[in-house]
Amino acid sequence: MSGAVWRASRAAVRRRRLQTFVIGLVVLTSTVALVVALGLLDAASAPFDRTFDQQRGAHLVATFDPAKATDAQLAQAAHQPGVTDVAGPFAQVVLTAPPDRAAPAAGVDTPPPGPITVVGRADPGGPVDRVDVWSGRWVTGPGEVVVMRPPGEHWGANEEVGSRLILPGAPPLTIVGFASSLSQTAGAWVSPDQMPALHPTATQLLLRFAHAGSDSQVRAGLTAVTAGLPQDSLLGSLSYLTVKQDMTSTANAYVPFLMAFGVLGLVVAVLIVANVVSGAVVSGSRHIGVLKAIGFTPNQVVAVYLVMVLVPGVVGCVLGTVLGVLAAHPLLHMVFAGFDYGYFTATLSPWVVVLTLLGMPVVVLLAALVPALRAHRLSAARAISAGSAPGTGRGLRVQRRLSGTRLPRAVSLGLGLPFARPGRTAMTLTALVLGVTTVTFAGGLSSSVAAYTDAARDHVQSVSYVGDAGVGQVEPKLTDAQIEAKLRSLPGALHVTAAAPVELRMTGGSQVVRGWFLRGDSADMSSAMVKGRWMKGPGEVVVGTPFVRKHHLAVGDHFTLALDGRQQSVTIVGETVTGDADRVDATWETLTAFAPDRSSSRYVNQYWVQLAHGADVGAFDNAVKAAEPGLNPSESGDVNSVTVTIVGSSSVLTLLLTTVAALGVFNTAVLNTRERRRDLGMLKSIGMTPRQVMVMVVTSMAALGLVGGLLGVPLGIVAHRLIVPSMVEAVGSSLPAAMMQVWHAPTLTLLVLAGVAIAVLGALVPARSAARLTIAEVLRSE
Amino acid sequence: MISEDGSEQVIVRLDGVRKEYGDSVALDGVSLEIRAGEAVAVMGPSGCGKSTLLNMIAGLDRPTAGSVFVDGEDLAQLNETGLALYRRRRIGMVFQFFNLIDDLPALDNVALAAQLTGTSAAQARKRALELLDELGIADRRNVYPAALSGGERQRVAVARALMNRPALLLADEPTGALDSHAGEQVMDLLIDLNQIGQTLLMVTHDPRLATRCASRLIEVADGRLVRESALERTP
Ligand SMILES: Nc1ncnc2c1ncn2[C@@H]1O[C@H](COP(=O)(O)OP(=O)(O)O)[C@@H](O)[C@H]1O
Ligand SMILES: [Mg+2]
Repeated sequence: MSGAVWRASRAAVRRRRLQTFVIGLVVLTSTVALVVALGLLDAASAPFDRTFDQQRGAHLVATFDPAKATDAQLAQAAHQPGVTDVAGPFAQVVLTAPPDRAAPAAGVDTPPPGPITVVGRADPGGPVDRVDVWSGRWVTGPGEVVVMRPPGEHWGANEEVGSRLILPGAPPLTIVGFASSLSQTAGAWVSPDQMPALHPTATQLLLRFAHAGSDSQVRAGLTAVTAGLPQDSLLGSLSYLTVKQDMTSTANAYVPFLMAFGVLGLVVAVLIVANVVSGAVVSGSRHIGVLKAIGFTPNQVVAVYLVMVLVPGVVGCVLGTVLGVLAAHPLLHMVFAGFDYGYFTATLSPWVVVLTLLGMPVVVLLAALVPALRAHRLSAARAISAGSAPGTGRGLRVQRRLSGTRLPRAVSLGLGLPFARPGRTAMTLTALVLGVTTVTFAGGLSSSVAAYTDAARDHVQSVSYVGDAGVGQVEPKLTDAQIEAKLRSLPGALHVTAAAPVELRMTGGSQVVRGWFLRGDSADMSSAMVKGRWMKGPGEVVVGTPFVRKHHLAVGDHFTLALDGRQQSVTIVGETVTGDADRVDATWETLTAFAPDRSSSRYVNQYWVQLAHGADVGAFDNAVKAAEPGLNPSESGDVNSVTVTIVGSSSVLTLLLTTVAALGVFNTAVLNTRERRRDLGMLKSIGMTPRQVMVMVVTSMAALGLVGGLLGVPLGIVAHRLIVPSMVEAVGSSLPAAMMQVWHAPTLTLLVLAGVAIAVLGALVPARSAARLTIAEVLRSE
Repeated sequence: MISEDGSEQVIVRLDGVRKEYGDSVALDGVSLEIRAGEAVAVMGPSGCGKSTLLNMIAGLDRPTAGSVFVDGEDLAQLNETGLALYRRRRIGMVFQFFNLIDDLPALDNVALAAQLTGTSAAQARKRALELLDELGIADRRNVYPAALSGGERQRVAVARALMNRPALLLADEPTGALDSHAGEQVMDLLIDLNQIGQTLLMVTHDPRLATRCASRLIEVADGRLVRESALERTP
């Protein structure tokens, strides 16, 4: 680069402090938004798979009966061509934590009641299921235990390294560490030497297959392994696909919103940077003319302008990346800890940082290049006279017509100003429309997220599972009806539903769906409806959008369900926001119709309870356990924290985007008005009072702001209408129309006024400094 | 380029130069010759095409028709980069409203012109300081244009125009934005320059400037040359 180019650009960067500062700030804020948005996009796209791959999770956890298959037989059986990696065999036992929830002694951990799987394992690493020991250390010998917990969760009382874990049928064990396994292979691990004292009842084999993309592939893998083993030696198996479905269904529901924010952040950051940078070039046309007149070649002029915006651009990008990384970490953690219980390590991928650091300067460069190339072509004579060129014909005509109106002259002049310089007016208007559209869209998105979160929220706070003697649990003494009545009578209970999950066949006989037959207050506890209504009578069912999509059915359609050879035609009366592709919710009467000769009660395996507002779930669960030891109550996922984190993170993004948009508008207004300082001085010289000058400037910007707002608000609403449903649709869900109606006239009015206010503020800053200068100074400064 | 009769070299030759802006005609077939060492004043009513004429000669804009030769160079043959090199080596320009680079102090405004031709920064500053000294504003070298008086600004602009020892100095109403005292100073400056051989073409509204500085007067109306006359300089 020649010395002259460097000198001219350095001087421009140093002396145009406001412009340099605003470009830097816009790039910085946009970069922060970009890092956060890309981080969210990345983390939301495959949270399960990433962590699963990191931990080399087990595609299948299979448990065998040690009395029927020896360890040697299992090791031999796992040796199959489709099996890529094996861990185990590990001895396993299921112990049941006592229901007693009385205050434990100091230093004693009482885990939540219910079964807990204990596995003997010498090493957290290995070829499969590399358990993440996130606190303390692994077991080294008998008397020690590592408890399975995702980071940041606390499930039991006094649960900390050094506490003693008391489990029935086991000697006291000291907790030496906490670890998390996405494959959920155990609730606690002990040293293999410890196992004989615990009397293992099963042997665990962890497998990874070459092909494990679908249920049938995983099943085929299992069949190959069990083929050579004695009959009935397989006790149970857990496919990673089931775990994934369980863990990611909530997260998946939010992916479209995070995607929308990510994409929006990206687009807005790029557009605003482009607008601000082009503004700098467009407003510099006289400067360009001077450079050309003294002999700068067109390429040298382009170089001056590129350097001029790249310096603050690169500084803003680097600082923004640093801030973005700092902001993204807690934000990602908060968002993901909210809905997947902390299993997923939502870290910012290095590619996000690399892409931002390389991409943002390129964006700035490209944004500057287009107007800079215009400067390249601009005739020097035209550029140099730009500051004092006469108004265009159209501008004069508008001005003449306005002066005929009865408006005060300052106001009519102000209204005419935008027409005098159509190029710069277009620039300002673009910034305004973009800003208002962004804020409208982001605000609407954030409201839709809040509405969706609220609708999708589980209305169940406590689920009581019926004890199963088959796995060593106590069975209830009360009958199904008595349990329901008992639960209703407990303090805090608001609504109670008995739920009976039953596997059913759909028409054609090949498709298996899970029917949830509900009795009690299901109507009061249902999630929001996309279409139709909640079920009422026999033969009525409600399904989720994924079901409707998968089976090509709609509300009002009929299909046939079969159970134990009996068939029944059912009608879809409603479609819910939540739900999965193979779930059908049906009324109790429908189940009774399937099994008229037998008691339908035997299918009920859980009771859902919605508690009165403010009731304590722990206290309620203790009351359940006390009333019927055959019930295993547990707290239903803390979905309120999901609401908080999702709404919180979308607010953070909305705020960031709003800031970027406001800065863009402010900057353009400043540049636009500064350009006119000479005109202002001229008007003062012919007798306009400073007040009239202010009125004129405010009128001109307010008019632009109003037009920008009136264009931007509908654009934002249209964008919201088009983008949000299609993003939700992309994950096989849908939004009820009510959740798209997030707009209210007062908010929108406020939004337009905010746009006007920012534009006026941006205009007032340079107008006031111009007003403070003497007329001579203003006129001379050109 | 020596002419046949052996008189002074022709520095500028315009042949039937026409310039249209959309429907309006700014220059309508202008032919003109300026010889080395001449000082030519262009006068005429506002909007008659004086600045356009200067812009054609400076290569700041291209004629719609006709040709412009300056110092042996056919401007039509030059591309944009060629025109920039031509401007930086062959001509210097002074404007009514100075057109200094607001971001640079006086000295750097002047030095920048030399740096463009590849002169080192130190060398360029040395020569710039000499020029500012000759023009009597060396003490203002570190002041930014906004803080200079009009006369000072115009002297900085003249210094910048002279930096690369141009064959031709173009001035578009150089005293138009100055008070009479500052105007006098700039006039004296131009006279001195012409006396040491600088070829000069200036546009002015001020008959005093024309008669004091110029050896020839060209009158323009509606984009045409309407009269040419030799001037007796009145000191
Ligand atoms: N860049 C331009 N675009 C359109 N018209 C122009 C431009 N420059 C000059 N003109 C027009 O050409 C005519 C001559 O202008 P100019 O040469 O500036 O006159 P002056 O003699 O006052 O210097 C005027 O009518 C002016 O409006
Ligand atoms: Mg002129």
